[in-house]
Amino acid sequence: MSETYDFLFKFLVIGNAGTGKSCLLHQFIEKRFKDDSNHTIGVEFGSKIINVVNKYVKLQIWDTAGQERFRSVTRSYYRGAAGALLVYDITSRETYNALTNWLTDARMLASQNIVIILCGNKKDLDADREVTFLEASRFAQENELMFLETSALTGENVEEAFVQCARKILNKIESELDPERMGSGIQYGDAALRQLRSPRRGQAESAQECGC
Amino acid sequence: MAKIENGLKSADSRSIRTISSSHMDDESSLGSDSEINGFTNDRHTDKYGFIGGAQQYSEESAQDVPPEVLRQREVKWLDMLSNWDKWMVKRHKKVRLRCQKGIPPSLRGRAWLYLSGGKVKREQNRGKFEELDSQAGDPKELDVIEKDLHRQFPFHEMFVSRGGHGQQDLFRVLKAYTLYRPEEGYCQAQAPIAAVLLMHMPAEDAFWGLVQICEKYLPGYYSAGLEAIQLDGEILYALTRRVSPLVYRHLEKHKMEPILYMTEWFMCAFSRTLPWASVLRVWDMFLCDGVKIIFRVGLVLLKCMLGTREKLKACQGQYETMELLRTIEPRYMQEGFLVREVLEVPVSERDIEREHHVQLKRWRKNRGELHCKSPPRMHGARAIMASEPPSRQDLRQNPTIIVESPLPPPQPTPQLKKSKEEKSKKKGSMKKAPPVMEIPNPYPLAGDPQLPLRDPQLPLRDPQLPLRDPMPTLRDSTVQQSLFNDTPLPNTPEGSPPPHQPPLSDQPPLSDQPPHSDQPPHSDQPPLSDQPPLSDQPPLSDQPPLNGQSLLTVSPLQKSTQSLSSIEADQDTYL
Repeated sequence: MSETYDFLFKFLVIGNAGTGKSCLLHQFIEKRFKDDSNHTIGVEFGSKIINVVNKYVKLQIWDTAGQERFRSVTRSYYRGAAGALLVYDITSRETYNALTNWLTDARMLASQNIVIILCGNKKDLDADREVTFLEASRFAQENELMFLETSALTGENVEEAFVQCARKILNKIESELDPERMGSGIQYGDAALRQLRSPRRGQAESAQECGC
Repeated sequence: MAKIENGLKSADSRSIRTISSSHMDDESSLGSDSEINGFTNDRHTDKYGFIGGAQQYSEESAQDVPPEVLRQREVKWLDMLSNWDKWMVKRHKKVRLRCQKGIPPSLRGRAWLYLSGGKVKREQNRGKFEELDSQAGDPKELDVIEKDLHRQFPFHEMFVSRGGHGQQDLFRVLKAYTLYRPEEGYCQAQAPIAAVLLMHMPAEDAFWGLVQICEKYLPGYYSAGLEAIQLDGEILYALTRRVSPLVYRHLEKHKMEPILYMTEWFMCAFSRTLPWASVLRVWDMFLCDGVKIIFRVGLVLLKCMLGTREKLKACQGQYETMELLRTIEPRYMQEGFLVREVLEVPVSERDIEREHHVQLKRWRKNRGELHCKSPPRMHGARAIMASEPPSRQDLRQNPTIIVESPLPPPQPTPQLKKSKEEKSKKKGSMKKAPPVMEIPNPYPLAGDPQLPLRDPQLPLRDPQLPLRDPMPTLRDSTVQQSLFNDTPLPNTPEGSPPPHQPPLSDQPPLSDQPPHSDQPPHSDQPPLSDQPPLSDQPPLSDQPPLNGQSLLTVSPLQKSTQSLSSIEADQDTYL
């Protein structure tokens, strides 16, 4: 299978231990729930090509270890990420309370323009819910995050989370974001390279000029 | 494991691989175990306890050791274990060599406990584990630990069922550690380490094994901040430059920080990376020689995966390189290949210490002082023993070894009494050949003066081990020497010593194996098991012996100044 795509985005999945980061990634890529999985030590990977607004986008997803003490190590994975899923567990307030810290790390260490979507995972466990939808969506608004409640178990909103994040990045490319700037977390794919010198290219250049 | 578990990285990776029945050496240990009641018979358990072969390529990459070789190695290991201090002091090279060859599965747990110094720690802290075990623990730590219990080797029969014995013990061990070192707390990477230990020993032993790994072999790896692992990443990087410049340049070019690829390798001592047969061999060497083995395995994998220009051409980019390093080709991880390669990597303890010094200096210059002051690293079993000298009592073996005989004992006298008599006799003089010897020792160590040991057809059995996983037993005491190049066996079952054996003279026997006067039993004896012990058993001497059993007690270390030189002639060659 040829790997033809227009853009390549580097994505992160971050959040506390046991919130279901690896399961979200697995559900997104394999379309099924992984019941018996190891916890992540260091980093895991996945990649998938999706179609967003008529563009093929390859997502390179770095799934990180959640435990606090791994933070010093996982920080080195952040560099150059274009998008991130910030995950908490709706049945655990503790994981929700940690969001601010994760957010600070992501904004500081990844690219400045990183697009983050907040994911309240384990939506299927509504009976044990400790964080309301309303509360989390308020937090998302205040911090300029997109927000979805997801379930890696049922697959609900999992694909949507990745796609919405990718769409927002594409929109940003249309308007302000320059993929060619260092550390943007975005690369052109082969398909895009073929269209170089096309209007798209001009747009990107003008955006750069505006930036200066 | 991680690779299979991921199922994401390569097209051919699947969550569960099914091993064809031809690979099974065991009709089924499945079904007899209540731990795995959720599984049906279409998934087999391999000889390591993994269901459906979920620890990748385990069967295919394992080397078959002929049973007679195994039996012989067991005898040697029993001897080493019963004279552990002497072996470690005087014959350490031989111990190392035998670790490199692979510790026999039946004695692996015990050997690991001796190598790591966990045995000594346990003896010197009697009751400590029990005390920790009875305490409640910090709820915050417990919460994290509990989340991880079902995530350690979820396809191993011991850990497959939620709340089963394996997971319970894992909880106990990890919790006990957080109470033992509250300032350290729980690190997620400790869980696989503890789980590997638990597959081979009871909870208390596994706890002390974990303590030793965390504090002696890999100090600081699991501490907050993970500075030690980052520092070792830099050391690995520097060593790569020396061992494989091509790989080094590639990693440099793509800004591959070492912690990107080596964190899981090192923190889990490759237990989630390699096929199981290789994990065990690596751990055998690691617990003997310390962290340099881990570095060497890392260097071998890097070199194999990235060592040629063609390979590098195919992976242009950081992500591609990462992907490659997480889908290591099975042939490079095959037990025999890997061990051979590891032994050839020219990296010594001194190299690591020197590089450690250099990198620490750099670290301090760039990032300031380390936040966590870890104890100094111990490079292997001998260093650990030297730092915490054991008493003889500490090294005393417990439990003893039983050899079962289907035949009734020659006298009606209670067996227990007899075995005690024998013990006291042995204490009296090791130099005297024990009495009543009709059966020659089929596996004499070179220089072993005809101390009859046991019947060759009868595998040794650790009383701790459950009777499962039958392994082929020796049908014929005439063993083909060509099968192995370890200490040769006598070709004749009758008593004459092998021609190349050194003169016996007045060399004392090395081993504690007491004599027994039983008749040779049948060959279809309860076989050895690969399985880990499920519980700590009390010492044998407290138990009434079963009828028809002869008890071979392994006596405490002898005070006699035994010369170990008699086995110098024993030409162990590697592999």
